[in-house]
Parts: sequence; C-alpha cells; structure tokens
Amino acid sequence: MPAAEIRLEKISKRYGDLWAVREITLHIKRGEFYTFLGPSGCGKSTLLRTIAGFVSPDEGTVYLDGAPVNHIPPWERDVGMVFQNYALWPHLSVFENVAFGLRERKIPRDEIQRQVQQALEQVGLQGTERRRPSQLSGGQQQRVALARTLVIQPRALLLDEPLSNLDAKLRAEMRIELLKLQRDLGITTIYVTHDQEEALALSTRIAVMESGRVVQEGEPREIYEQPREKFVAEFVGKSNLFIGTVARAGDGIIEVKTEEGLTIRAAFSSPLLPGAAGKKVLLNIRPEAIDLLAPGEEAARLNRIAGKVAALAYQGSFVEYEIEAGGRPIKANVINPKGKRLFQRGEEVAAVFDPKDVALVS
Amino acid sequence: MAALLALLVLFILYPVVRVLWVSLSDEEGKLTLLHFANFFRRPLFREALWNSLLSGVLVVLFGSLMAVPLAYFSVRYEFRGKILLQTLATLPLVIPPFVGAVALQLILGRSGMVNLLLMRWFDWSVPFMEGLTGVVLVQTLHFFPFIMLNTAVSLSNIDPSMEEMAQNMGCRGLRLFGRITLPLMLPGYIAGSLLTFIRVIDDLGTPLMLNYKNLLAPQAYLRITTIGIDDVDGYVICVILVILSLVSLAAARKYLGLAEYATVQRGAVAARPVHGRKRFLVLLFCGLVLGISLLPHMGIFLLSFSKVWSFSILPATYTLDNYTEILFRVPHFVRNTLLYTILAAGLDVILGAAIAFLLLRSRIWGRNLLDAIATLPLAIPGVVLAVGYLRVFHGWDFPGAGAPLTSTWFILVIAYTMRRLPYTVRASYAALQQVHVSLEESAQNLGANRLKTFYKVTLPLITGGLVAGGLIAFITSSVELSSTIMLVPRFELGPISYGIYVYMQSAALGRGAGAALGVVAILLVSLGTYLTHRVFGGRAGSAFRV
Amino acid sequence: MNRAAVLSSLLAIFIVATTPLFAKEVVIVTSFPKELFETYKKAFEAKNPGTKVIINSKQTNAGVTYIRETKTRPEADIFWVSAPDAFQTLKADGLLDKYSPPKEIMSRIPAKIGTFPIHDPDGSYFGFAVSGYGLMWNKNYMQAHKLPAPKEWVDLANSRYYGHTVISAPSRSGTTHLTVEVILQAYGWDKGWALLLNSGGNMGAITERSFGVPEAVNSGQYGIGVVIDFFGLSAIASGQPVDFAYPSLTSVVPASVGIVKGGPNPESAKAFVNYLLGEAGQMVLFSPEIARLPVIPELYAKGPKNYPNPFTMKLGGLDFNNRLSSGRRDVVNSLYDHIITFRHRELKEAWGTIYRAEEAIARGKGKDLAQARNLVAEARKLASQAPINDKKASDKDVVGAFKSKSGLKAELETEWEKLARANYAKAKELAEKAAGLAR
Repeated sequence: MPAAEIRLEKISKRYGDLWAVREITLHIKRGEFYTFLGPSGCGKSTLLRTIAGFVSPDEGTVYLDGAPVNHIPPWERDVGMVFQNYALWPHLSVFENVAFGLRERKIPRDEIQRQVQQALEQVGLQGTERRRPSQLSGGQQQRVALARTLVIQPRALLLDEPLSNLDAKLRAEMRIELLKLQRDLGITTIYVTHDQEEALALSTRIAVMESGRVVQEGEPREIYEQPREKFVAEFVGKSNLFIGTVARAGDGIIEVKTEEGLTIRAAFSSPLLPGAAGKKVLLNIRPEAIDLLAPGEEAARLNRIAGKVAALAYQGSFVEYEIEAGGRPIKANVINPKGKRLFQRGEEVAAVFDPKDVALVS
Repeated sequence: MAALLALLVLFILYPVVRVLWVSLSDEEGKLTLLHFANFFRRPLFREALWNSLLSGVLVVLFGSLMAVPLAYFSVRYEFRGKILLQTLATLPLVIPPFVGAVALQLILGRSGMVNLLLMRWFDWSVPFMEGLTGVVLVQTLHFFPFIMLNTAVSLSNIDPSMEEMAQNMGCRGLRLFGRITLPLMLPGYIAGSLLTFIRVIDDLGTPLMLNYKNLLAPQAYLRITTIGIDDVDGYVICVILVILSLVSLAAARKYLGLAEYATVQRGAVAARPVHGRKRFLVLLFCGLVLGISLLPHMGIFLLSFSKVWSFSILPATYTLDNYTEILFRVPHFVRNTLLYTILAAGLDVILGAAIAFLLLRSRIWGRNLLDAIATLPLAIPGVVLAVGYLRVFHGWDFPGAGAPLTSTWFILVIAYTMRRLPYTVRASYAALQQVHVSLEESAQNLGANRLKTFYKVTLPLITGGLVAGGLIAFITSSVELSSTIMLVPRFELGPISYGIYVYMQSAALGRGAGAALGVVAILLVSLGTYLTHRVFGGRAGSAFRV
Repeated sequence: MNRAAVLSSLLAIFIVATTPLFAKEVVIVTSFPKELFETYKKAFEAKNPGTKVIINSKQTNAGVTYIRETKTRPEADIFWVSAPDAFQTLKADGLLDKYSPPKEIMSRIPAKIGTFPIHDPDGSYFGFAVSGYGLMWNKNYMQAHKLPAPKEWVDLANSRYYGHTVISAPSRSGTTHLTVEVILQAYGWDKGWALLLNSGGNMGAITERSFGVPEAVNSGQYGIGVVIDFFGLSAIASGQPVDFAYPSLTSVVPASVGIVKGGPNPESAKAFVNYLLGEAGQMVLFSPEIARLPVIPELYAKGPKNYPNPFTMKLGGLDFNNRLSSGRRDVVNSLYDHIITFRHRELKEAWGTIYRAEEAIARGKGKDLAQARNLVAEARKLASQAPINDKKASDKDVVGAFKSKSGLKAELETEWEKLARANYAKAKELAEKAAGLAR
C-alpha cells in the first residue's frame, strides 16, 4: 500500500473570533501512526479535516509527499477518512458501501467484487454484503467503515475518533485490531482522539493539542514521561503537580521547596544550568511512581512525604489512593497489591518515591 | 385517537361518502359497479385518464428540474438574497383564481405580452398556452414549490459526513449528488413529488382557464356542475381520482418504508458561500426560474393598476381605482381571508402533528385508517366536499349557534382545515420520520411522560416541518376557490378568492379590482412567508430547514 | 371529551358573535355581477327601511346546487340569475314558490318579447330584464389581424375567422344554449348543426365560464366572442376597445327572479320581486355599468339615447318553440359537448385542413382539381354532420336517459364521440388528399 508523507506548515484556521487551529507545523513520516490528542474543541478535528480537504486553511500549506495540496479538492486528495459516526450510507448495502470508492475509480466489475470481498474478509465481515448498515451492530458498522476506506488503498488513513461510539470492551479489541492492521499495511495514519490511553497505545508519535496549538509533540513515552507543559502532564495520564522553588542544585539532583512547604528531590541526567537555585519550577510525579509505607517503615527512596489516606479505590491490578499531605491531595497508585497491606481511610502513611521519577515539567 | 378519528370521519369521510355513494348505486339505491364499467368503456374517459396521468408525470419531471436545484441552492449555498429566494419561491403556489389565468394570458397567451413582442420582432409566436402543453407548463410553474419546499427540508436533514465521506472517496459534483445526496433526500423529494402529482391530476383551475377539458378533473367538474343534469359520471371520476391518489400514496409509502432514513441529527451541512462564475450561474438559474414562475404575479400586478389592457404589450391606461374599491369600499374580503386562513392553518398544524405522531410512534389500531382519511382531501375535489357539507350539516343546528353550521363562516374554516390537512400531516410525517426514536426514548427515560416528551422533545425538533406545512396550508387556503364558492353563506362573509370571483364576473368593475385583490393575497402570503423565515430563521435555520 | 365540549362552545361563541341579527331580511342567491346586485341592494333598502338585503353571490350552477342541498330548510328567499335553465330545473324540482305579482305591475309587461315568453306561465319565475345575444369584438385585435367586423351567425363559419373566435359551451351557459337552439330552430336541425360544427371548428377556444368570453375578447386573446349584450355594452361603457352588435337573427333571453319555496322571509321576498318588476326597479337597468334591457316597453322612451330596444328590434322572425327547446336541452348540450367541446382539437384540425385544401384548390392549376373539389366537399360534409337527427333528440328514451342513472346515456355519449372522432379524422384525411392533388 502506498504511504504518504504529510507535512503541515503554519496552518491556521479561524471561525469568527475563534482560532480553531493556529500556526501548526508538523511533519508526519511515511507509515507513521500519528495521533492528534486533545480535549474537544482543541482543533484536532479541524486539523484532520484540513488534511482531508474539507476545511481550507486561512493560512499555511498542507503538503502530501512534498506537494502542496491546498488547492486540491477532497475528492482528489486520495486520503481515506473514517468518520466518528462511520457515515455509512443508509440507502446502500454493505457491499455497495465498500464498493463505492472503487466504482468512483472505475475499477472493472469483477475486480470490484474481488477487492470488496477481500476488504470485508480483512475486517472479518464476510457474509454481510447484502445487509443494510442499519442491520449491523456498532462494531460491525465500524469495520465496514474501515473496510470501505481501506479498499481504495488511500495514501493515508485519517481516523476521526473512530472508536468513541463503541463500548469499552469492543473498543479495546478494535484498538488492537487497528494496531495490527496499520502495522501490517504500513499505511500512514492520522488518528484523532481525546482518549490518551488510545493515543499512547496506538501511536508512533503524538501531538498534544490545546486551543488550536500543538503543545507537545513526541513519542508516547516522551509525552507521558517527560511532559513539557502543565497541560500535557495533566491531560495525558494522572499526575501530581508541584510548584516550587529550587533550593539547592547539586550533582544530578536538585532540591525543590514546594508552595506547600514540602521538599522534593529530583534527579536529572543533564546538569542544571548554574544559577538554577531560586528558579521557579513545576514538578510532576506520576501516581504509579509513589509507594506507600507505614509511618515507621524505612525505605531507600530519597523522597518521603507524610500524610493521611483520604480515599482509596481497589482496582485489582492496583490500588488508587488519595493522600492528604501538606494541605493538598497526592495521588498514589500502588501496583500489584497482592500480598501488600491495604491502608485504610484516615490512616497515617508515608508517600515515598525516587528522585528519578520526578519529572521537571518547566 | 378516537376523538381525532371521529373528527375526521365527521368532516371528511362521511360527507364525501354521502356524495360519492351516487357513483356506486343504481336507481333503486343498490350497490352497482355499472358506472365504473362504463367509465372504462368510454374513449373520452380513457383519454382523460391517460392525459391526467401523463400531465402528472410530466409536471413532476419538469418541476423537479426546477425545484431540486433551487432547493439545493437555498439549503447548501450562502448568498445574498437567499431569504428573498425562499420567500419568492412559495409565491407560485399563490396564483389567485381567475385573475391568475387572465394575467398569465396577458403575458404568455396568444395575444400576450411575449407573443406580441415576438410577433413584432420576428413575426412569429409561440403557443405557450395551448392544449395539454399549456396545461403542463402552467401546472409546472404553479406546483414546483411543493417539490422544492419538501426537498429542502429533507436536504437540510442529511448528516454532513454522508457527503464528506463520499467526497473523501473521490466522488463529487453531480455524481455525488446522484449517488448520495439524492437518495438521502428522497423522503422529502418523494413527498413533494407525490403532492405535486396528486394536485396536478386533481387540478381544475388550470385546465379550465386554458379551456382544455380532456382531463379527469375538469370532466368531473363539468359533469357535476352542469345545470340540471345529475350526471353520475362526474362522481365516478371523483372516485377514480380518489383511488389514483391513494394508490400513488400507498406506493410511495411502501417504497419509503423499505429504507431506513432516520438519522441522529448531527447538525446540518453548513451552507457555503459561492463566488465567481458559480455564484453567477446560481443566481442566474434562480432568477430565471423565479422570473418565469412569477410571470402571472407580474401580470396581476400590472393588471391591478390598469384600466384598459387589451391587445397591447402593457396596459393602455392606468388607475388607482381598483385599490380604492377593495381597500376602502369593500374591505371585508381581506379581513375574512386573514381570519379564516390563519385559523385553518393553526388547526391544521395541531391536527397534522397529532396525526403524524400517532402514525409513526404508536401502534394503536386504526391509525392506518386515520392516515387514509386524513389523506383523502388531497384527492377530493372541493366541490364534492362542499356539497357533502351542505348535505350533512345543513339539517341540524350547531349547538349554541342557533343556526346550521353551513350558515356560519366557520364552515369555511372547517373546509379549509380539512382540505389542507394532508399538507400538515405529510410535512409533520416527513419531519418526524427524521427524528430518531431514541431522542424521545431518552426523554421518557428521564421521566417525561408521552405528552411531555412530545411537547418538550419531539415538537421542537419537528417545528420546521410543521411550520412549512402550516405555511402551505395558509398559502393554499388563501386562494382556495372551489369549495369557497359553494360554501360562502353571504357576500359579507366572503374571503378574497370569493371577492375575486365576484369582481371577475363584472365587466364594469372588472378584472382590475379582482387583480388588486390578487395582489393583496400575494402580499399577505409573501409577508407571512417572510416573517416565518425571520422568526424561525434565527432559531432553527429557515422555516424549510431543520 | 371535555375538550370537545370546550371547543364546541368556543365555536358557538364565535358564530353567535359574528352572525348579525336583523328584524327583517331578504336573502338573495344571485349570479349577477357586483355592480348590479349592489345597486339594487342600496335602492331596495332605501325604499324599504328596516329590511336588510343579504346577498349570497354564487355561480349559477353553484346556486342551483345550493338551493337543492338546502331544501330541507331553505336559507334563501330569492333566486336571481340569468340562465332560464336554472329556473326550469328548480321549478321541476319543486323548489320555487308560485306567486302572482299585483296586476298594476304585471299589466305593463308584455307576455312575450318577439316570440320568447318573458315570464314562466305558471308564475314560478319572472323575467325582469331581457338581454340579447350577439357578437362582441376587439377593435385592436381585428385591426392587427386585418379582419372585418362580423355581422351574422354565419360569419362565424367563415374561414377568415378561423382560430379568432370564442364561445362558452352551451352546457355551461344557459344563454349560449338558447343561441344554439335559435340556430337549430332557424336553420333546421341538419343545417343548424352544420353551422354549429363549422363555427365550432373555427373557435379558438370554448370556455367553461360564460364570462370567460368577454374576458378573452377584452384582453385581446381572441378577436370575436359570442356574448350576451350586457357583457359587450358594459365593456364599451368602461372604455375597453371593443364593439358589440346583434346579428339580425338574434335571441333575447329574459333574466329572471324567483321566490324560493319555504324561504325564511316570504313577505320581503315578494316585496323584492315587486320592486324589480316595478318602474323604479326597471329604471335601474339603464345605468351604463348594468346595461340590461327593461321589460316594460314604454320605459325606453325615458332611457338613454340609442339604447337598444328589443321590442322594436327585428328578432329573427322565427317562432321560437320553447317547449321543444327545454325538452331536448340536455341532449343538445351533451351532443354539443361530445362532438364539439371535447373533440375541439380534432374538429379544429379537420376544418383547418379543409381550409388549406380549399386555398390550394383556389390557387391550384393541377388537372385533378375536380377530384380535389369532390374530396373537400366530402370532407366538409363529414365535418358538419350531427350523429343523430332531431327526432331522436326529442325521443322519450333518449331524453329520459339524461335524467336517470341507467347506462343508456353513457352508451349514447360514447357513440356520438366515436362517430365524431371517426368523421373528423376522415375529413382531415380527405382534405389532405385534396390538398395534395391540388398542388
């Protein structure tokens, strides 16, 4: 399957006074699974629709394989799109839905027959050809939509929240299927979602968007482990954010005094610039990096904050705690709780974590 | 349900059956099919039947060529003068009786403006208004808004992603329209075409004004109203018209029933601005279609200021007397029209919504019967309903009025309400069809009972359809003639259409005053349409969208 | 059902609030134009203070239906229209009251005008005005098409007027029916129908409404119309570029008034009839926008100058047989419809072809001219032929078929129609052949 390289250069789109998309520059490589991640209204769908050609940007250029395509209408861009509501045509059968794009491409009849069969097999829907979309379940409709788009072998696949209308279990299943399919086909894919788990699981790279801007772009690990903005840290995964002032900067370790009066030590591979002391910083500690100990218990970790259990939720694979410390909540996920002690509400505990698990956001 | 059914039986079915029974009974009052057998034996009637069907099909065909692009432009494109287009496009439905005919003759007739000019320039003329061609031409110009209004409603209900998806697959332009848009807007288009077809085969005014009589409706009318002859054939033709209409309705419904068209609304396709050459072509097309279909109105306007207009391109002498006559000397025509038609349209909206709701959302026994009866008036000539009313309601005093219903003006309101009921039922039905049941179920789930759900959820969603239907009821009632003439109890209670009739009989006061009344009718209707667009335009798109 | 009660009482309030109650009324169903009934309404109310004239303006046919359908409890007192057929129909149904107006009124009105009786001999209805039938033409139109003004009925069959004339169908207009009868009685059945068929083939249009004819002429759609005089006279009075003339063989028709049996106000009804027939009522007819002819001969001396006077006019000189006319009325009307009105296209084509063939013969030099002439003559004959003779038209069974629901009427009409179709097609074919020969 052909795979396109997509470049966006300084794309801007305004609706009235509102910037839907503002000066976005991105480079999506061949075969990538690239995700626009962000809350609703962040401009991710607008950006996707700009690539598909349904939105023409006020400024900036979209390049497909190096060629500017702003002037090319949607029907000539050859980028397959799957809509959130699938947009299956109710008046056409499953077969006709899938065959639609092939007919547009003037493919011979028997070839259409063959390719549609193949596409339906690919998504596991053989035998449903003659049904109407309304006679299919949500998951099946989703697969038809996917097959319909893939059968035309587009240069890129654009997916607009394709899993959001499915139930949780189906969503998880489809996620894996999608992943396999994309990796097998090697097609350049752009995925729009507000679900950070989906984004992390599927993508090769992610652009986190907020209010029409890309706030951070990077591989899933980078996004999760090294969020560079408060928004990213908060939006992607759960987080404990601390604002503080650098009290001491030493050899690979800084000591930060937080607003709440807590002291947090953080490790950094690159030495901090001289004069870091006195600088304001934002720190993030992921809940799963925090372990809980009874007050008397000792541990090797350098950070220790005393607090009280405010709430807990047993999740099976982990226990979600909320600790109150220094007048603020701290989230701690104690993983693999089997055999460990469950702290009760109101119990005094110590939250411990390693300096290397502290991320410097800014 | 029972109350509704009783109402419809009393005011539609019973009077009509009382009249049409004639066609099924012999001289001893026993059931016979002899008259129907005779109908099919007679070449004249076979010819009339064929001509009626042919004209119906042709009008739908040509009407679609005008209406569908107009509907598409008005829903999908953003350009200045769009409200004007939507307002003007309803006007062809308001060709006031008689004067409309005279005015169109003055423009397109054999010695009309156009032909006089053609003769002067090229010594050549075009028989626009002759024979069946003329009938089809005039009916197309007259009825195409039915297709346009209904198509526009459906069109604006299409989920935008349906078309975007197709574009994404490489489909565009006319092909996109043909493969996706058209099939998806079929519910409205078919409803509109059906109305048009039924109205055409039932249309009396046009063939009579063009003096073309070999069609079913004029044959029925001529036979029923010829002095002194109790001609059973007239009633036979009426029954055949009713059957034709019901059959086409049933066929359309069966077809539409096959497809699932309910969509969960995700906002309408945004109208997009057009520029340059395309804009020019769009405006040109709209201008041409409207220009041609508003020729009668132009004629009426000119005629209303004319004193003498005879075998000349423009009137020879002008006057304001016609307006003095109808606005100051006899103002009651205008007042009565407003009273009757607004009441009737209001009643129609209420009844139409209730019936459509029962049809689509309930499983109560008899709802199909309800539907059939509510559809009947489409197919019943006004004369028959009027005679039925006289026959049924003349005998007894209306409780509290001390007089029979037929000697009060309320009989006119009832007649208008019943005759136009199919429009609001159809419009509500089409609108309701596109509201997914889940929207209502979720309201019921949240604790709203059926009535409350209807009021709080369904009603707001179908308001557009209701308003469109009510508007059509209002518009067409304001120029309703055939039942009016029969039922007006006295001169002072007559509406505009009656006034026009009275003036048109008079060579002295004449066509001018009738035309002036026609202008008033047209203004009333355009004002109503415009206001509807303004009021509903802000909240829910235009009256014909949503 | 509570709602129904509320609704009906609301209705009742509406109705009561809008139904004015007068001590004395006279309710009149009429097809006359507004200027006529309004003038009379004012004049009568001025003469009879306290009595209110209520006008229910209806087309003649609708009026008849209305009176019939409301017969269980009549709401109208007076039926007041032009068409004599309408009165005959109502009289036959027993829906009109007999009345004898005071002697001093009746003595001034002659029993007949020419040979036409003015009143119903049984006193069921009374002629209050007469109108003559004639020809009306648009002067602009005639000039533009370079046509001379027509004078006689036979002119309507002249090929030069082909496509320029207009008439209303006799089944739709009582006055046209009378004209048709005058022609049939004056020329005899066969020659009469020949004239009717030929002029029918010349007609540009055959209208359904009788006022469709003056309308078409006033607006110049057609040049010449067969109309009742007041249409022409009042159009002239209102400044239309038209003219009107009575042919020498004209028919005059009384416009009548009758009292509805069992009407709510019998006394006022009688007063109204007396007023119409009396001098005051008669004088109103002279006003230019009404332009009808009074039935009291001596009043013409008081009327406008050059006002047509039917009592001194030469009225065809034929002894009009009213019984014959009304006896076969339905048959004649249906015959006209089925061989002329509904077959107008074919008839018109046939005559058009005949005229073209005749022109070709007039210009032609071919050696087959004689044969061509024969063919045209044959074609003319076919296009002028009535399907039945006059005896059949008055036959009891035939006449009866139009009053009953048996299948005979359908059979007859089908037969006429088929014959007409075949004749016109044949005539056209022959004429085409003739034209071919003459070329």
